[in-house]
Amino acid sequence: MTAQTESPQTAKTVDPGELAHELEQLSELATLVLSARDALSDDIVSRVAQALSEGITLLDRLTRNEGLMRLLQVLDTPESQHLLHGLSTALAKMSRDIAISPPAKGGLVGVAKLAMEPGTQEGLRSLSLLGKYWSDSMRELHRTGGN
Amino acid sequence: MRILVVGGGCGGTILANNLARRLANEIRSRKVRITMLSASDKHMYQPGLLYVAFGQMMPDELYRDQLSLLEPTIEFHVDPVEQFHLDQNRVTTKSGRTHEYDVMVIATGSRIVPEEVPGLVEGSETFYSEAAAVKMFKRLREFEGGRVAIVVGVPHKCPIAPVEVTFSLHDYFKTRGIRDKVHIKYHYPIGRIHTIENVAKWAKPEFDRIGIEYETLFNVKEVDVENQVVKSEEGTETEYDLLISIPPHRGMPVIERDQMGDGGWIPTDRYKLTMEGHDNVYVLGDTTNLPVSKTGSAAHFEAEVVAENISSIIKIGTPVRDYDGKVYCFIEAGHDRATYAMFNYENPPDLKAPNKSMHWFKMSYNKMYWTSVRGLL
Repeated sequence: MTAQTESPQTAKTVDPGELAHELEQLSELATLVLSARDALSDDIVSRVAQALSEGITLLDRLTRNEGLMRLLQVLDTPESQHLLHGLSTALAKMSRDIAISPPAKGGLVGVAKLAMEPGTQEGLRSLSLLGKYWSDSMRELHRTGGN
Repeated sequence: MRILVVGGGCGGTILANNLARRLANEIRSRKVRITMLSASDKHMYQPGLLYVAFGQMMPDELYRDQLSLLEPTIEFHVDPVEQFHLDQNRVTTKSGRTHEYDVMVIATGSRIVPEEVPGLVEGSETFYSEAAAVKMFKRLREFEGGRVAIVVGVPHKCPIAPVEVTFSLHDYFKTRGIRDKVHIKYHYPIGRIHTIENVAKWAKPEFDRIGIEYETLFNVKEVDVENQVVKSEEGTETEYDLLISIPPHRGMPVIERDQMGDGGWIPTDRYKLTMEGHDNVYVLGDTTNLPVSKTGSAAHFEAEVVAENISSIIKIGTPVRDYDGKVYCFIEAGHDRATYAMFNYENPPDLKAPNKSMHWFKMSYNKMYWTSVRGLL
């Protein structure tokens, strides 16, 4: 294989028209920069710098927060998203039901009546299971310091 | 490993945050604990005081809660040290508590002592505290013309402050349309107009250009408040209508009380930044007796070296870096122009012509400072 090199004599000569066009573009760019400089003020520069500074700090805190990263991983599953969606729907329905129900009269009879409803029993069962698993998680948190 | 940081100013805060980032795993596994002791729960951006003195910043813009600037893994106490027991690796604080340490970093800073010059407190305006800066601005607002004298005590924090305040005075009076009624005279203690030779070379023609008179070898001896005359140790005098002073500084009283360094400046190894005779004690910023400027930027670059070395000692048993004396100072050359000086033990600064972009860089830095002390920039 032979290498071909271009001698200085054969290097491409600059076309004056092309050079003028490039200078014009450079001048346009300089005008743009100067115009931006003239449009700015100390106040604007300070405000932008402050926003950038706070933004960088926030980004730094978020990206170095391992707990948040783990939470995002958990939320990034269809099951978690479905559960959150279900919880949100249940809260909305509960809110509407409470709004249209007459105020509770109180007394043991009312409590017994409510406790006999299958929905109440299902709810109590869910809360009981939630408490069971959550308490395991809390014990783990205090054992390892959250790591 | 117990790391104790004494002082929550610029250097101490950058160092503590930098260490907390580098040693995150060790802190999590409880092998390392970082404790900071400070005199205040607030952190002040001190370079902003010059802007307050000219009405360009409000005092509340200078402060943040110290806790909001610290990594959450740093234990923070507002409880200044009252006594150092270096031979026992412990300190006692104002509240009476004792803190033991394996490694200590002293970054207690400096304080102004204008009372050391007779008449300086009563006779001059300055901007080295919030109250003083606000008072100076009010005095400038009332000033309608006359003789303004600028005098400089030594040593002092922020070496560029004397020229900056002079340029700012020129621009302030010019903006108010009374510059022709004001005569500004600058006084400096050594044989040229600034301690840094290249700054002196740069500032002299600038002073000539804008009509500022200067007198060198003027060490302030006393101020005759009644007759409005400032006198020098060299025997010269200047009459004034408004006297602006850069007051002399000293280190913190606790350093002098515990005989850790003359004038409150601790003898420090210029490369390792350890206290002479105490390898587990580091010194940062204004507190050192090093031949570098007493500025936030020196404290910043020193803090990076100390943090890296403490961290490497914990991880591999040996320090890895030396401090090269680096300092970076912005120089405001008036209301809308600035330049900068960067230098170290070996290389003097090479000043460029001031321009608006550098001024905006400085304005931006005034806000980015908070990112900087968090150990991010």
